[in-house]
Amino acid sequence: MPHGVEILLVDDSPEDVELTMRELRRHKLANDIQVAEDGAEALDFLFCRGPHKDRTFSHPPKLVLLDLKLPKVDGLEVLKAIRADERTKAIPVVILTSSKEQKDLIKGYNLGVSAYVQKPVDFMQFSEAIQQIGMFWMLTNQAPPAGAFVASNAKGV
Amino acid sequence: MILLGIGVLSYWGTVRDEEDRAWVTHTLLVVEKLQTVRIDITQAETGQRGYMLTGQDRYLELYGAGVNQVRQDMKDLPDLISDNPREREATQLLDPLIAARLAELSDGIEVRKRSGLLAGVEAVAKGNIGERSMQQIAAQIGKMRRTEAQLLSRRLETAVASTRKIKVAIVCGNGLGILILSLAGLVIHRETGRLNRAKEELKQVNERLERRTGELSETNIELESFAYSVAHDLRAPLRHIAGYSNVALRDYGPKLDAEARRYLEKIADGAEKLGHLVDDLLSLSKVGLQELSLQHIQLDLLVHKVVSNLAPEYSGREIDWRIGKLFSVECDPGLMKQVFVNLLSNAVKYTGKREHAVIEVGDRMQDEERVIFVRDNGVGFEMQYAGKLFGVFQRLHKARDFEGTGVGLAIVQRIIRKHGGRIWAEAELDQGATFFFTPGSPEKNRSKQPEVPMKNGVTHAARS
Repeated sequence: MPHGVEILLVDDSPEDVELTMRELRRHKLANDIQVAEDGAEALDFLFCRGPHKDRTFSHPPKLVLLDLKLPKVDGLEVLKAIRADERTKAIPVVILTSSKEQKDLIKGYNLGVSAYVQKPVDFMQFSEAIQQIGMFWMLTNQAPPAGAFVASNAKGV
Repeated sequence: MILLGIGVLSYWGTVRDEEDRAWVTHTLLVVEKLQTVRIDITQAETGQRGYMLTGQDRYLELYGAGVNQVRQDMKDLPDLISDNPREREATQLLDPLIAARLAELSDGIEVRKRSGLLAGVEAVAKGNIGERSMQQIAAQIGKMRRTEAQLLSRRLETAVASTRKIKVAIVCGNGLGILILSLAGLVIHRETGRLNRAKEELKQVNERLERRTGELSETNIELESFAYSVAHDLRAPLRHIAGYSNVALRDYGPKLDAEARRYLEKIADGAEKLGHLVDDLLSLSKVGLQELSLQHIQLDLLVHKVVSNLAPEYSGREIDWRIGKLFSVECDPGLMKQVFVNLLSNAVKYTGKREHAVIEVGDRMQDEERVIFVRDNGVGFEMQYAGKLFGVFQRLHKARDFEGTGVGLAIVQRIIRKHGGRIWAEAELDQGATFFFTPGSPEKNRSKQPEVPMKNGVTHAARS
């Protein structure tokens, strides 16, 4: 697999998933998008468990787009788990959610989120926001080198 | 008053008592004088008899002294008994008796002097005339003494009675005084009791009120939270409506006829408007839930910033901004910025049809209060509707003329009130509008719970 999954989109709303993926693709920003419909699925994928046990930590997604209100394990718990593990803590995580409640913002940043974006109701604004996120994290930003945070190497960094 | 009354009564009683006692003394003096008359006349008689029998001069002297004393007594007596007419009459009866007796005695002495011992002895021996007149005198004096004795007993009774009266008056007065003082004490005690009970009741009412206020503000917070989460949850489906109608237009627009495209556009527009409304409602309920974080803010700097942020809203228009030097006030900068965003974007909006728009921000002192105003020369409104200006979903202009959700000024009012200030407006149709507000003293309002409950409109929106 040359570069694996580029974006993990964690959202339980099929409509939001569809609209988000459509915008990303329209701007040719992501060819390989993995969708997780709840927090547990997201963690299985990130930690190479269950249906994803064949994955390896050496090829993490370039970006996790994380909704906060999720069934089973909510977004902030997923974020906490990502940041708590040496093998996943460097993965850029952008919270993309309906809420811009202060306490969610504060908790998100406290747990080390990379960015926080509220989904705009206005479709033009929504489209623009997705385009900007994709452009920045896929093209502008330099992702961590592949394999840099795999367990054995992590300590040496 | 009562004590004064008792005093006056006691004084008057004492004076009366003294008078009564003086009368008793007086009566005793009269009695004594009457006694003296008898003694003196007896002395004169004894002297006369002695002289008659012995012819010795010393008896003559005794006689003379007695006579003189009797005369003196009879002179004193009328003065003493002038108070009693009956006694005066009695004295007038006594006078001749005594004069007669004195004359008899004097005659006897003359006989003795002239005719010697034998004649004298004879005279004494047949002195039955003298005895008779002496009996008459004694009877008269006795009568008078009895009268005086009666008088004395009456006067004593009066004196005793008035003394008793005084005692009774003093005892009663003091008793009354004590009673009144006790009553007053009792009344004071009862009043104090009532006051204490009233205080206790007031305390309880206060506690109830505080509890109720606590409950109310909790309910308020719950309502606000409810409104917030409902508004929040409305966003996702709205986003989908807006999203899919836009996607359909974009992807299939060319294949659709004009009418179908127009329908889709209406759906997208409606969703967009509803989205703004939901966002405004979220801001409104957030103002209620949010704690003020206070800072000293130079208002004119804030206003300049807002004006430049609003630039996209008035691009291509010429607006004459007149921003004066403004107060520095203590406020929540985020919320105060929202106030100016809403007021100034309103001013921009409602001057939209003016060729030469003027928007002025200034301040002034009014009744020792700092007042900030935002004035425009836009379309204004009729003052009769001014009361509706700050209500949620209340609009004074048709959506066709000016877009808006009808929440902006409600947010402004809520922010100003949360700071402890007031907001009002003056306007004239087609002559522009001026919004005034006082920045309040948020320090004093810091402890206040979240603002007034939501207007019906919001609750309905939240429930539907």
